[in-house]
Amino acid sequence: MMSDKATSFFRYLAYVIELILMFVLSTTPGLMPEIFGAKPVLLICVALTAAVFEREIPAMIIGMLSGILADIAYSNSIGVFTISLTVICFIVGYAANNLIVAKFLNYLLYAAVAVGILFMLYFLVWFVIPGVKDMWSYFTAHLISRMVQTFLFSIPFYFINHFIYSRLNTEMG
Amino acid sequence: MKEFFQSTKVKIFLSVLMVLIMLAVFTRNVENNIISTTLNAMTFGLSKVTAAATEDHAKGKSYDELNAENEALQQANRELRAKLVDYYSVKEENTRLWKFYDIKREHEDYSLIPATVLRRDSSDEFGSFTIDKGTASAVNVGAPVIGENGLIGWISEADAYTAKVVTILSPQTSIGAVDNATNDTGIITGSAKYADDNRTTFSKLNSENKVEKGDIITSSGASGIYPKGMVLGEVIEIGYDTYDTSHYAVIEPYDDISKIVDVAVITDFAGQGEILRKESGE
Repeated sequence: MMSDKATSFFRYLAYVIELILMFVLSTTPGLMPEIFGAKPVLLICVALTAAVFEREIPAMIIGMLSGILADIAYSNSIGVFTISLTVICFIVGYAANNLIVAKFLNYLLYAAVAVGILFMLYFLVWFVIPGVKDMWSYFTAHLISRMVQTFLFSIPFYFINHFIYSRLNTEMG
Repeated sequence: MKEFFQSTKVKIFLSVLMVLIMLAVFTRNVENNIISTTLNAMTFGLSKVTAAATEDHAKGKSYDELNAENEALQQANRELRAKLVDYYSVKEENTRLWKFYDIKREHEDYSLIPATVLRRDSSDEFGSFTIDKGTASAVNVGAPVIGENGLIGWISEADAYTAKVVTILSPQTSIGAVDNATNDTGIITGSAKYADDNRTTFSKLNSENKVEKGDIITSSGASGIYPKGMVLGEVIEIGYDTYDTSHYAVIEPYDDISKIVDVAVITDFAGQGEILRKESGE
């Protein structure tokens, strides 16, 4: 029987490996086909699904790590995804532990709201504030597709991370 | 709720958030800063992985485009392979021609057709063989055949693409020859006694001949069938034929006729057939 620290260590290690794999998958051209002009942000999927099972601080750290990787993948600097995922994962971690328990249907609610906020912030920072021309055509042609795909792709990650959490968590027995 | 906002978790969260915001501002405003450098260094290994995986996608080509490109490359490869085969054929022929270059340089009037031995007549003890050139290459019956070092035979049969060569080791051969040192004349003809040893005879020498060992025998060109001055071999032995009461010399050609592979056919030379034409009154 592993100690609490050991199980936590392996659980976090599993999340980190998941993040690295998704980063590689996301940044390798040709590996994932574009659907309706966009690809899902898999790092968000990992962060949100891990956050609903973890407490606030671990959830925040996972969100921060995935945000940093997502920002590196898109802009090569710390930006909107790092800050917004740190905040959102902290809130999701708190809410899932204290307000709405993270059952599957509840997770869908969390994911829908979180993905919506994340991409709206992204759109605001990168398109609205700089006043990018034709930003609405980008929004309709790409961003909606990316939001929907990220939401849908997070569903299998929910089950993967639920499996990891249940296997590597002493609280659940 | 008030307790939550005053908890350590929230303090940690706010502290991290502040740091992140500062980093975000810092990395946005300063180019090549230490943060982005550190991030790049941290993700360098991952970039290597993705770079390796993306090598084939570097030009953003689709599967169909790559497939078409692959087909085109294979087609080009086939064409190049065919050219390479041609190249080797030409190179081989060139190598063969070089062997006869000196002869051609000495006798500019010769028209040489290089040829390769296709097969040897196993039932013939006199070394006859078939070459890969025939009447389609202007190789006709009676044409002299040379090796690297001199005359080795003549064409006895020819079809469009092959020709049979009877060698100077054969009794069928009869070539007018001369001793370059003494000017003694005679006939080069093969002998069953010497053929196995790659030797032929310089026969019909008169009784006062001065032929000696080591003399070089060449064609006399008297009949107009063979060009004058073609080396036939070297005298290695002098003998006397009791059967026809004449002297003869044993000649060793400079080429090993039983093993020769590359030959050339002289299809034309100055004086070819002149004597025959004179005799027939043309």
